[in-house]
Amino acid sequence: MRIADKMAFNQVNQNVGKNRSDMSDLQNQAATQKRINKPSDDPLSAARVLAARTEEHGNSQFIKNINNAKSFLEFSDQSLGELSDALVRAKELAISQSNDASGNAETRMVTASEIGQIYNQAVQIGNRKLGERYVFAGYKTQSAPFDHAGNYFGDDGDMKIQTNKDSFVAMNISGNKVFTGRGLDGDGVVRPRYETPTTVQEVQEFKQEEIDRLQKNEDVERNFLMTRGPAGEFEGNGKHKQDPVTGARGVNIFSVLKGLETSLKANDKVGVQETMDLLDQAISQVVLARSEVGSRVMSVNNTMDSLQKAIVDNKTTASQLEDADAFQVISDINKTDSTLKATLETSGKLIQPSLLDFLR
Amino acid sequence: MSKISAMMDTGKRSLMNSQTALQTVGHNIANKSTEGFSRQRVELLSNVPIGEGGLQIGMGARAGVVTRVNNPWLEKQIQKEGMTMGFEDSRADGLSRVEQIYNEQNNKGLNQYVTDFFNGFRELSNNPESLASRTMVRETAVGMVKDFGRVTSQLRGVQEDLDAQIKTTIGEVNEITKEIASLNEKIQTVEVSKVPANDERDRRDLLLKKLGDKIDITWAEGKDGMVSVTAGRTAILVSGTGASELKARQTDTRDRMEIFYQGTGTPANVTEQISGGRIGGALDVRDHVIEDLLGHIDNLAYTLATEVNKAHIEGFDRNGKTGVLFFEQPESVKGAAANISMNKTIFNDVSRIAAGSRADAPGDNTVANVISSLQYKQVMDGGTATMDDYYNTQVGQVGAMVQRAVKSQESQKNVINQLTNIRESISGVSLDEETTKMIEFQKTYDASARLIKTADEMFDTVLNLKRL
Repeated sequence: MRIADKMAFNQVNQNVGKNRSDMSDLQNQAATQKRINKPSDDPLSAARVLAARTEEHGNSQFIKNINNAKSFLEFSDQSLGELSDALVRAKELAISQSNDASGNAETRMVTASEIGQIYNQAVQIGNRKLGERYVFAGYKTQSAPFDHAGNYFGDDGDMKIQTNKDSFVAMNISGNKVFTGRGLDGDGVVRPRYETPTTVQEVQEFKQEEIDRLQKNEDVERNFLMTRGPAGEFEGNGKHKQDPVTGARGVNIFSVLKGLETSLKANDKVGVQETMDLLDQAISQVVLARSEVGSRVMSVNNTMDSLQKAIVDNKTTASQLEDADAFQVISDINKTDSTLKATLETSGKLIQPSLLDFLR
Repeated sequence: MSKISAMMDTGKRSLMNSQTALQTVGHNIANKSTEGFSRQRVELLSNVPIGEGGLQIGMGARAGVVTRVNNPWLEKQIQKEGMTMGFEDSRADGLSRVEQIYNEQNNKGLNQYVTDFFNGFRELSNNPESLASRTMVRETAVGMVKDFGRVTSQLRGVQEDLDAQIKTTIGEVNEITKEIASLNEKIQTVEVSKVPANDERDRRDLLLKKLGDKIDITWAEGKDGMVSVTAGRTAILVSGTGASELKARQTDTRDRMEIFYQGTGTPANVTEQISGGRIGGALDVRDHVIEDLLGHIDNLAYTLATEVNKAHIEGFDRNGKTGVLFFEQPESVKGAAANISMNKTIFNDVSRIAAGSRADAPGDNTVANVISSLQYKQVMDGGTATMDDYYNTQVGQVGAMVQRAVKSQESQKNVINQLTNIRESISGVSLDEETTKMIEFQKTYDASARLIKTADEMFDTVLNLKRL
């Protein structure tokens, strides 16, 4: 083939240019430690890296949600713990005053005032706040759920917190369930559905359901008769007592304490004895609530573990997709460097000699 | 005597031939780096011999014609491939700029702003009572709205730049076609006397290549040696010694540059016909790629605004009032990304953000949960993709498009390089070769001078016969 001068020059230009551009790419990879610096470097992986990032951001948000829910739940649990301690103390007092061997009119009067204190404590616990929110008020977190008479002003909203792509956990337990025993079961009170609506249609249905539910509950409340003891007949196989009229298991803790106080004041030994069963029921009601709270904590803890694992997995995935293999890059740089040098050296030789150089 | 003078004549002609040849060598050397130049060669022919008795006596050589060493088919092929090269070049350039808009490898992009927006609602769901988390929802919404704006305005920016490029290139096209027309005239004038117009033809070949780099042309050479050039299907740019112009301007119907052919009649819109060269590439990116992407980003913004609005309006705000629209509801999909904006009422008063499904329930976060769940709902493409999927697919597609464009640009460059090499091996100037020829013709020149000297001495000998 006939070789014209321009061919030689073009060839040198192309080869040196290619080596330089390879070198620049590699240098870029070394500087950023990334294999993918723009989507076209590897379109499929770039899209997957983006997806992994979204996932990662979502997961870190879920971890924040969980931490928030956990502190709420733990605070509730702690409060319920105190409540159950108070009730146990009330039970002890009731036992000691339930017979004439250890109690008499005077001691009952003294004990009544302690029960009064326990009652106050129970109301206080019911009105506990975490930050600016009343923890036992359902959705009505901005106003105290209980007045001193033990009336409930909150609602039975479950504050659902997203803990993963499609799972929600309630981070609160509403006060009427724990303190007044409404809606535990059998008393006709309907609680809101457990599933969290996640679409517009579901939220519309949910809103309608809520309207119907509140209507129904109002009727139930209107016809509700607070009955207390003597329910010993119903105690069969060690199970909790039930309301003789409605068959419900819930008790109103405030009424129970109030009743105990009244019985003590009135030196009503039988009344005190009857209250002891109700106190048992109240304690197990609180324990039930605590176990519910505990199971939610456990569930978020489990989710937390899997989220943390997912975050690590995600980072690994993203890293595998986009990170440069440092060893590979450096060895490629060395290789390209020696290629470049060889190209420059041979190019010098290619361009240099011409017939003119020998015609002196 | 006649033989001696014939000898002198032959020597003289040979001297002149060598000069001509050396002049051509000089011309070649001087044009070694001239773009599009083809080396030239003097065709030397032996003169008609004279019959003298039984002898045929050669009468030396004469310079026939100066031809250029050139393969017209190869030139045409280079021109054609150059057209593809121009197309691929400008397409790859445009696409790389588009890619930057979608590049989220090193900085925050739309994908992350959208995630932030939904995380804002998750934060709100944690604490619907708090003004701080409400403000955060607003800030993330503002950030996302801004980024939708950024993506569209940057895409439009690239379109505007391409417009400017198209306009400039059209200007260059007009300059080139004028020069081709005037070269047509020159070539015709020169070649009427059967002398090839080598340099003019080289120049015209080069201009045709340059023109093809810019716009897709078809051309043919007539019997008169003049080329006619057509751009697209109908725009006759050069015909004989006349050139017609192209014009780039906006129309009333569209705010983009359109290309008009200014023939003899009314200007005709030929934009649709241009599918090659740099202009073709720019048009492809501007009218197909970017328009598509704008459509997708509009679709995303529209769906997002509509879906969030639908949920938000179901809710109740912090003060127990029924929810308003969260975003100004976009009127149509087209332009949604540029126009998406927060409802002013909410923007000014974050307590109007509706988190709950019930009035007078400040802790109710049901609607906030519905909105944040939207991120994982398949609301795009007829319910087959989430918004994230939809956007990430776009990014992947842009990446793939750029990758393909850069690859075909590279392979086209290889094709061009190879063809150019072949062209150079035929038409290119080699200094070694020219030097060799120079020496060769110098020697011929020397020898011819020597011949004249010999003839001269022979004359002397004859003239001095008597004195001897």
